[in-house]
Amino acid sequence: MSAEGLQGLLALGAFLALTIGFAALNSRWPIKLRHISAFEALNKAIERAVEGGERVHLSLGTGSVVGSESAPALAGLAALSRIARATSMSDRPVVVSTGDGAMAILARDTLRTTYDEVNASELYEPTAGRLLGPTPFSYAAGLPSMLRDEQVSVHMLNGSFGYEAGLAADFGERAHNFVIAGSDDVQSQALLYAVAQEPLIGEEVFATPAYLDAGAVHKASLRAQDAIRFIILALIVLGVVIETIT
Amino acid sequence: MRLIRLSAIWAAIALGVGLFVLLGYFVDLEFVTGLRILFMQWAVLLAAAALLVGLVNLAAVHWRKVSLSDEGWLYSGVLILALLVTLILAVFFGPDAPISLFIFNNLQLPLESSLMAIMSVTLLLAGFRVVARRRDLFSLLFLLVTLLVLLGTAPALGGTESGTVASLRELRNWISQVWAAGGARGILLGVALGATATGLRVLMAVDRPYGS
Repeated sequence: MSAEGLQGLLALGAFLALTIGFAALNSRWPIKLRHISAFEALNKAIERAVEGGERVHLSLGTGSVVGSESAPALAGLAALSRIARATSMSDRPVVVSTGDGAMAILARDTLRTTYDEVNASELYEPTAGRLLGPTPFSYAAGLPSMLRDEQVSVHMLNGSFGYEAGLAADFGERAHNFVIAGSDDVQSQALLYAVAQEPLIGEEVFATPAYLDAGAVHKASLRAQDAIRFIILALIVLGVVIETIT
Repeated sequence: MRLIRLSAIWAAIALGVGLFVLLGYFVDLEFVTGLRILFMQWAVLLAAAALLVGLVNLAAVHWRKVSLSDEGWLYSGVLILALLVTLILAVFFGPDAPISLFIFNNLQLPLESSLMAIMSVTLLLAGFRVVARRRDLFSLLFLLVTLLVLLGTAPALGGTESGTVASLRELRNWISQVWAAGGARGILLGVALGATATGLRVLMAVDRPYGS
């Protein structure tokens, strides 16, 4: 095994150990999440949508399930489970869209499992998790008619997007939806900062499940991320100091 | 009981495959690397098959709109027609045939390019909206930096040799190479940590995107 391979495995092991450790300590040392106004507004918007008989739309982005761009969509699927529970009391349960066929299947599986768990299997519709278009801009082009037809009031983007993110968020703004949007791509985040009502910056796109109360492990993984981040920062500072001195 | 057993099987498969793929990136053993490549090839094949399932799903949604004559049913009809024509032509003549390339170059490419053009207008409007909606220091800073970078990038009206143009170019380079690059690296660090945490949750079977 190469030195880089060993370092990578050690870093992953440390991440895993910290996550499990923080989750185990959760009852004695409860994790208090920092205030993020976007998630607070999201929770309120979902409540309003349920009360008003309007629909929540979750977009899992245009990234493929094969590759690193699947990560924010996987976080979106964990959030979907929570949103499906919250909207299961509504006449119009959550609808999900994506630009990847496999991700659409995963979204339908998540919806079916969640509705089974809350004894609301009748809410499941195969068209509730759908592919809007197989290319980024064809996906964005399919959004306006879907937002209108499904009477969406909460438009949430939680996945991997390229430049089409700007259009995807803007279509929600034009329909007077509550728009919360995040992506793993830095340039898309800049677009979303300008376009979306509540942009998610940096790793906030991965924190959605934790802020929707998905469980202790989700919160513990946020704490583990912070711990690893501080270790990396300390190592960077140490490296700069050593390099400057020598 | 059956559900619990099934979910355990899915979780075990996801864990096993995930661990082998992950190990393949770190360990130099031929067996592990070969298995990682094999699993990745399977995943690509499955993703392609899933695309077909997705397209059937898409057609079903729009077929329902057409059959119920819902608002915008005509567009749905055009979508189904275009899907069928493209599919038939590509299957019969191949994706590289002149007719398939004609559709791609003369229909899909211009349409998607026009959406890109719409986005530039959208961004301009969004710039005004940011100031109206979020009147804080960060929004003003965002706009100021955008203006400075635009001025430093755009062709100079007064000639490229003037001192002001040179100063603007230097300022743009300083902003993009020092501040923006530094900020982007910080954001990427957070994104990498978030992606790792998400992947580990799937491997721990805490997140089960494959259902139960």
